[in-house]
Amino acid sequence: MTAPFLHINAVRKTYGSVVATEHVDLTISEGEFMTFLGPSGSGKSTILHILAGFQDPSAGDILLRGQSILATPSHQRNIGMVFQRYTLFPHLTVGENVAFPLRVRGMARDVIAKKVDAALALVRLTGFADRMPAKMSGGQQQRVALARALIYDPPVLLMDEPLSALDKKLREEIQHEIRRIHQETGVTILYVTHDQEEALRLSDRIAVFNQGKIEQVGTGQQLYAGPATRFVADFIGDSSFLEGQVLTLHGDCADIGFADGTRLNAVPLHGRAQKGDVVDVMLRPERVDLTQTAGPAGASLPVTIEDLTFLGNATTVMARTTWGAPLSLRLNFGHPLAAQITRNAHLHTQLNPSEAHAFSK
Amino acid sequence: MLLNFDKLGAWRWALGAICGAMTLFLLLPIVFIAALSFGSSRWLIFPPPDWTMKWYGELFADPRWIGAALTSAKIALVVMVVSVALGLLASFALVRGRFAGREMLRAFFLTPMVLPVVIVAVALYAAFLRLGLNGTFIGFVIAHVIVALPFAIITISSALESFDPAIEDAAILCGASPWQARAHVTLPSIKHGLLSAGIFSFLISWDEVVLAIFMASPSLQTLPVKVWTTLRQDLTPVIAAASTLLVVLTLILMLIAAFIRKGKSE
Repeated sequence: MTAPFLHINAVRKTYGSVVATEHVDLTISEGEFMTFLGPSGSGKSTILHILAGFQDPSAGDILLRGQSILATPSHQRNIGMVFQRYTLFPHLTVGENVAFPLRVRGMARDVIAKKVDAALALVRLTGFADRMPAKMSGGQQQRVALARALIYDPPVLLMDEPLSALDKKLREEIQHEIRRIHQETGVTILYVTHDQEEALRLSDRIAVFNQGKIEQVGTGQQLYAGPATRFVADFIGDSSFLEGQVLTLHGDCADIGFADGTRLNAVPLHGRAQKGDVVDVMLRPERVDLTQTAGPAGASLPVTIEDLTFLGNATTVMARTTWGAPLSLRLNFGHPLAAQITRNAHLHTQLNPSEAHAFSK
Repeated sequence: MLLNFDKLGAWRWALGAICGAMTLFLLLPIVFIAALSFGSSRWLIFPPPDWTMKWYGELFADPRWIGAALTSAKIALVVMVVSVALGLLASFALVRGRFAGREMLRAFFLTPMVLPVVIVAVALYAAFLRLGLNGTFIGFVIAHVIVALPFAIITISSALESFDPAIEDAAILCGASPWQARAHVTLPSIKHGLLSAGIFSFLISWDEVVLAIFMASPSLQTLPVKVWTTLRQDLTPVIAAASTLLVVLTLILMLIAAFIRKGKSE
């Protein structure tokens, strides 16, 4: 078996008694766009800083094409990085900034000039070479930073929340640019963000971080459709959680009973639970339908409508179960009930229990 | 705004008058000295009966005055270099360092600013007697660096604080060694701070008189000391001419410092 392109091998980092990351183990293939997604303080940036060489792991190793890079100092790792803050060299022009990595590598002037032109064209900033960084917008500065990080053809590009300082519209525009640049260059990208939408938009695969550990790794679809833990279910996409009790277990599934006696049959169960244990059942708002009449037993729950918000392409519905738990639903525009339901109406939900997920507590 | 100048009514005139009086109070002695230096009266009569350049001629013809000015300039230049170099190193430690007693060290570095200069002068005089440094060039430089260094540290520290260390990290990932990154990225980025620190250090040494009187010997005098000693012997308009030149050079350097600050903020 050949060694994986990049192997983050059981990396652990502690500061005194504080654990920043615990046994993070991950392999990344060449050309992959991998995103570390998690709340702040979950350890995702720590891994990036260890890859960059700004920090040393307390245990574990980082292997690039089978070779450990930990003994190599930062400036010889040949790794590219775009930072959260603006890090263009303020005293140099855009062109000189982009040329900097090649200058310190002692390349010939004419080669540098050609590569700088190509790099600026890649980030669509041709003609900006003589500008000073302070005269550019935040989005432009981050694109220059991207050009500067890519000009020396690094095997891996690290991006540490590069768009968090930008407003939403600009962020989406540059996300688009980053995708295009990833496709054009084929560079392996490790991207850190706390924005799940950004992660879904950009990544081939997402590693969800929580409290220094990876909760789950997979494509956006895999994480959305099959969250392995309650944290992933909660962090990616919208969801409602209903507290219920395990009535019967059949393999990986369980029949769940609720406080009012209704039940959902054959819900996929994650984690260990015995008969009688309390579990959280996760439902996606757009996978719960609303009907006038009750559906088949075990796949339907009665609800009272509390609030409706029309959003154009859909209507979000805040409902409450008969035992008082909040449940949110999403009806697409054109749904037969969307135009006629009113507050305090008593209706029924219908869903496919195999799309719900029960998490042990 | 609570105090809007346009809405103060009659108070505006009072404020204007106070401002004018303050300006006069600060500027008059300088104007007075400058006027006397061009006045024809040997007895410093004001207003001058007639105008002349002869005191400047006498000043430039006297090798003792020229010597004192050159000594002042040489000392100030060396003080400038030493103060900026030490200030830079100290600032790196104070801004980037994470060690116990950092705040204590910062306060310690700044004590010469609050300590009466006479006390520093007496202490140095006593110490230099044992070391044989009184009346020497090195003695002057050490004494002036002591009072100039706090200003250099304050100026360079504040420049370094406004420089994001992530920029240095970016340079290192780009392939620059840590020393290359500091030399090619960090230092050029804080050069306005280094320049201001240099100018202030130069000026502090250039017009410092208390320490200089203690350090001076008959063969080694700075310009302010020469002014002071001449003043005690006889009252000649040459002193006014020398003082005016001192002020002019100070003014030019202050203007340069102001331009640097303005360029930085734009």
